[in-house]
Amino acid sequence: MRSKPKLLWIDAVSCNGCSHSFFNIDLSFLDDFELLYHPLLPSGDFKIQSSDILIVEGAIKSNFLRLGFDLNELISKLFFKAKTVIALGTCAVYGGIFGEGLVFNKTSKGKFFKCKDKVINIPGCPAHPEWLFYVLNMLKENKKIVLDELNRPVEIFSYTSHMGCTRNEYFEWKVDAKRFGEKEGCLFYYFGCQGPFTHSSCNKILWNEVNSKPRAGTPCFGCTEPLFPKENLFQTETFMGIPANIPLGVSKRAYLTLSGIAKSLTNERLTKRLIKCENEDKQKDN
Amino acid sequence: MKINKKIINKIEGEATLKIYGDKVIEFAEIEFWQYRGIEKYLQNRHYMDALVINPRVCGICGHSHLLATAKVIENAFGIKVSKKAEILREITTGLEIIQNHIKWFYVTLYPTLIQDKSLILKSLSITSFIAKIIAVIAGQFPHNSYIIPGGVTCDLTNLDILRVKEDLKKLQEKIDKIIDKNGDSNDLKRLFEKMDKNIGKGLNRFLVLGDNLYFKPTGDLTFVKEEKTKSLSKNALYKDEFFEVGPLARNLHHPLIKSVYENYQDSVYTRIFARLYEMHLILEKILNEIDKIDMCEPSFIDYTPRNSEGKIAIEAPRGSLIHSIEISDEKIKEYNIIVPTQFNLSNSTKEKPSPAQAALIKEDIKWSDFIFKCFDVCAVCNTH
Repeated sequence: MRSKPKLLWIDAVSCNGCSHSFFNIDLSFLDDFELLYHPLLPSGDFKIQSSDILIVEGAIKSNFLRLGFDLNELISKLFFKAKTVIALGTCAVYGGIFGEGLVFNKTSKGKFFKCKDKVINIPGCPAHPEWLFYVLNMLKENKKIVLDELNRPVEIFSYTSHMGCTRNEYFEWKVDAKRFGEKEGCLFYYFGCQGPFTHSSCNKILWNEVNSKPRAGTPCFGCTEPLFPKENLFQTETFMGIPANIPLGVSKRAYLTLSGIAKSLTNERLTKRLIKCENEDKQKDN
Repeated sequence: MKINKKIINKIEGEATLKIYGDKVIEFAEIEFWQYRGIEKYLQNRHYMDALVINPRVCGICGHSHLLATAKVIENAFGIKVSKKAEILREITTGLEIIQNHIKWFYVTLYPTLIQDKSLILKSLSITSFIAKIIAVIAGQFPHNSYIIPGGVTCDLTNLDILRVKEDLKKLQEKIDKIIDKNGDSNDLKRLFEKMDKNIGKGLNRFLVLGDNLYFKPTGDLTFVKEEKTKSLSKNALYKDEFFEVGPLARNLHHPLIKSVYENYQDSVYTRIFARLYEMHLILEKILNEIDKIDMCEPSFIDYTPRNSEGKIAIEAPRGSLIHSIEISDEKIKEYNIIVPTQFNLSNSTKEKPSPAQAALIKEDIKWSDFIFKCFDVCAVCNTH
């Protein structure tokens, strides 16, 4: 039998959120790995050593100490001693709030760009636990993980977070949410929802198996994208009334034509509240 | 005198402990070196962006930072929310406290004395069950932003509420197996088989500043001051003195916790017991509240922003959490966060020690890790 893959998980500049996200799936599959180090789970004492899989959680930056080492030196040493590196979470992939990513620094090249061939990027703030589960098991079984041009697994990141959103019908018919806290309406036009142009499968592989932010009335903040977090996250940037960012893969003109037609053909059913409370009319009159 | 410097990991982030003394701890210094600069990052951003950025202070208690952010903006603008929104907030933030305590007990504290992998896996299956309940209401856990100034973003149905309620009852059964309503806990007994329940006494001075859930403030947050330390964290003082915040401080009035306190004062045992037993008290509170939800109330009430300042405190998993904000033209001019770990793990002198320093002094050096971790250190929060 082959020996278990050696797995080393290091936290760089992070909030530990990707670790806590990971804790939301059944971790018994980790028995198939030899866990050399994890920042929270029991493991051997930390030492710089070779690994089959290195997981980096968090961004890199200068003048930052980790386990008594300078962070940049520590990550470099671990990186070159690892067969495969998983950059876990938007911080490790693009830098996020706290610093620079491994292969990318926002939209430019990062410190390890030249070695990108051994890196698998799993962005997300936090990264979805099932995405990591998938990558780890594919690696363990020696199966090929097809990656896109940003080194992300296509099985996860060829979707947009818009796909599968329960508010899709409102998007189709251009019925925009006018206020927060209602199950009706699309959050794309007024409330900054980045779902139609964010690479992620949040509405397909649900969070905690039950839900997603847009389903709970919160806009998608594009947390899997290089520039997360952008400014004005709850507002849609528009130019002369046209959203500055339009759905992926469509020309601005085509998008405008389609939304113009949808808007002119009112879908009566979607303009009303889905469920009406008995005293709601009374409340509105007051 | 021998100085033993060690890095404490397997907590949220890491801390450096400098222990003076050979066998007995004469004095201990606590350092945090992982500063990240969230407060600066918020400057000049739209105030709503803080609802996305602040949960990223911490992966285990980020939801408390979200609640604090929404509340400090509401405080600045003078906004009220519906009872429905308030109850939903209590449920999700209460649940975050419970998952925190379970992870802290089994993943952080237990392995310092007893290595039992099955306990860790079992505890994480409970915390992921809790995360699922939060996600029904909030969209996901960790790192949602469903609490916003004026209410919450979700618009639940009765079916959602029923599901949450059923799951809360199941959770109650799971927690009963960790510690029952009489305070009996096999896992706690096992932990203290080889350990003195009297060690690790702190300052015996307590403080509660938040008023969420069933907690009652014992102090006024305007008396809180921060001071710089040698490392990259800041001390937090109340009326120029150090106080212990957290589950022991805010549950001292409870008869069962009080009786343990009378036997062992503020020792490691009392601190751990209060933290575990608090899970029951929080669950009881939210199970009681959930029946009061009026589905016809709005989830969100609109408001008008203005140039203003706000300052609030809530009770987070580890104790009192303070957020303050200055808003001008809808942008954040200043943001300040004071976290519970700053109170409990301040770094001061031998003459005027912080709660954790006091708890470490005069104890056997072999217990340093355990005593330190019994405060549920959040180094990540501490160096926000």
